[in-house]
Amino acid sequence: MDILQINQTSDYKKAGPLQAHFNPYSYNGGTVLAIAGENFSVIASDTRLSEGFSIHTRENPKTYKLTDTTVLGACGFHGDVLTLTKVLDARLKIYEQDHHKQMTTGAVAAMLSTMLYHRRFFPYYVYNIVAGLDDEGKGCVYSFDPVGSYEREAYRAGGSASAMLQPLLDNQIGFKNQQGVTRIPLSREKAVNLVKDVFISAAERDIYTGDSILINVITKDGVTDERFPLRRD
Amino acid sequence: MSILAYNGAAVIAMKGKECVAIAADRRFGIQAQTVNTDFQKIFEMGPRVYIGLPGLATDVQTVAQRLQFKLNLYELRENRRIKPKTFMSMVSNLLYERRFGPYFVEPVIAGLDPKTNEPFVASMDLIGCPMVTNDFVVSGTCSEQMYGMCESLWEPDMEPDDLFETISQALLNALDRDAVSGWGAVVYVIEKDKVTRKELKTRMD
Amino acid sequence: MSERYSFSLTTFSPSGKLVQIEYALAAVAAGSPSVGIKATNGVVLATEKKQKSILYDENSIHKIEMITKNVGMVYSGMGPDYRLLVKNARKLSQQYYLSYQEQIPTAQIVQRIANVMQEFTQSGGVRPFGVSLLIAGWDDDEERPYLYQCDPSGAYFAWKATAMGKNYVNGKTFLEKRYSDNLELEDAVHTAILTLKESFEGQMTEDNIEIGICNKDGFRRLTPAEVKDYLASVQ
Repeated sequence: MDILQINQTSDYKKAGPLQAHFNPYSYNGGTVLAIAGENFSVIASDTRLSEGFSIHTRENPKTYKLTDTTVLGACGFHGDVLTLTKVLDARLKIYEQDHHKQMTTGAVAAMLSTMLYHRRFFPYYVYNIVAGLDDEGKGCVYSFDPVGSYEREAYRAGGSASAMLQPLLDNQIGFKNQQGVTRIPLSREKAVNLVKDVFISAAERDIYTGDSILINVITKDGVTDERFPLRRD
Repeated sequence: MSILAYNGAAVIAMKGKECVAIAADRRFGIQAQTVNTDFQKIFEMGPRVYIGLPGLATDVQTVAQRLQFKLNLYELRENRRIKPKTFMSMVSNLLYERRFGPYFVEPVIAGLDPKTNEPFVASMDLIGCPMVTNDFVVSGTCSEQMYGMCESLWEPDMEPDDLFETISQALLNALDRDAVSGWGAVVYVIEKDKVTRKELKTRMD
Repeated sequence: MSERYSFSLTTFSPSGKLVQIEYALAAVAAGSPSVGIKATNGVVLATEKKQKSILYDENSIHKIEMITKNVGMVYSGMGPDYRLLVKNARKLSQQYYLSYQEQIPTAQIVQRIANVMQEFTQSGGVRPFGVSLLIAGWDDDEERPYLYQCDPSGAYFAWKATAMGKNYVNGKTFLEKRYSDNLELEDAVHTAILTLKESFEGQMTEDNIEIGICNKDGFRRLTPAEVKDYLASVQ
């Protein structure tokens, strides 16, 4: 049988070892967005979890409260998101027990960076944004790439619709390409409204963004939740 | 890397109230290296018909020339100016002729109907599948960024001045988040009795 | 094989005439008459369709044909040649539509049909068409009617009103007297019938004439019942 097959197909098919491939990653979409204000920060994410053309759930926020003043936004491969947040929570608990205090937002960001870099050659497929308050009580946002490169910024969009949101934030918060405008500091209401507006826009064009958004506002008094509906198609 | 993104480009067109606008960046680069900053990507195809051609620079120029050729013959043969919608069919056919060896351009068309002055915008993929919209069209290497900007900034029935500001902001802020487009921009606002061309200064990095 | 006959049959006579074309025009002048009149709001085409025997089924074969939604055509001369031109004209119209997603303007289809007719005067192995055409069209863009005549030579003319075929000289003289610039389509249909009547031998009925009209709603051949009504109001 084998000989017969090889004779028939020997022109193009060589008998030899076959390799089975396993792809350890998938992509589940989702968008996160964070803005640092004067004495607060806002971090929001949509609640859709998808794969390809199907939606797994419409009720999966991608923000994770890490400490009383730190919230992580994470999206990409949901399996890695779950592992990463689990390990993060464990590391934060150990820190708290060792130091008898909660980690600062800056320390969380620094630790996350090293955690990501430890997996430099088998990375967590996760786009992270950390929002919180810095040592002086000012709003702060840290953005990451999947292998731990990070920086502190005033605002950042991450995930599937980041390319749609970021230029708008540049324009509306960073006042980019605007001349002769007075740069008034961003109020909490304006920040939250802007978040809603840009997510509505993103949901129009990005199939991986929609259903609703969860907006977390972080102040010295804690973290508040707000849900806002988006289109569900 | 896609051939469509080899030289880098951004083109956008928007409808307003009795007016349309079309805008593009001016960069010509070879992958990451910028070579020229006054490269023409928008072509006048009649007094109120414009086409923007983002894509492979050599094909941009070839397609523009072949369209001009076809258009000249059309206008001589029929002794009249072409309608934007008719022009769109012409472009679509030109591209589909090369279905299996395409020109690497994804055109954007903007214009006013020569008789009714009805605004018209449309875009196309590289093999000529047309898409006519009621609001805006974008094409080029930073189309996602432009979609994000347009989706938030655009509103119906804008006056020419408003339209100019909106299309400029949409293009500029999208451009700045794309490494292979930018380095100057040009905007055409097309009204029934005049066309205004403005060159925009942008970040040069 | 075909190369052996690749010379044109239409060649100049020593006096500078193309006699083949003159013969073609003679064939037209011997054909049954057709009339076309342009009104302010449309065009009418009318033609005589007299049959040699009462056994013919008059309502199955037509001389007036639609080319596109808003262009129609009629002929004087040889029927078989006409059918080839109709086929060509329809194909050219659809080719135009495919290119531009827009109905072909009357002037354009006329030009293209004329091109075909001209090619048959210069190509090898063929003879000129033995027909003249009347082409009626409505231009949606300019919102006005058009009436063209197309001859075997490939020459074409735009008319306000004209007649072709047998007795065309009398027909044209009659039209010159009857035509006015502010004619409406209804009146034009009457005038067309009267022009045909000038040279009509025997009784005119809804079965031995054909009428086509073209206005903003497009081109349409009148039904025998409609023709009958017009005939009644003329008499």
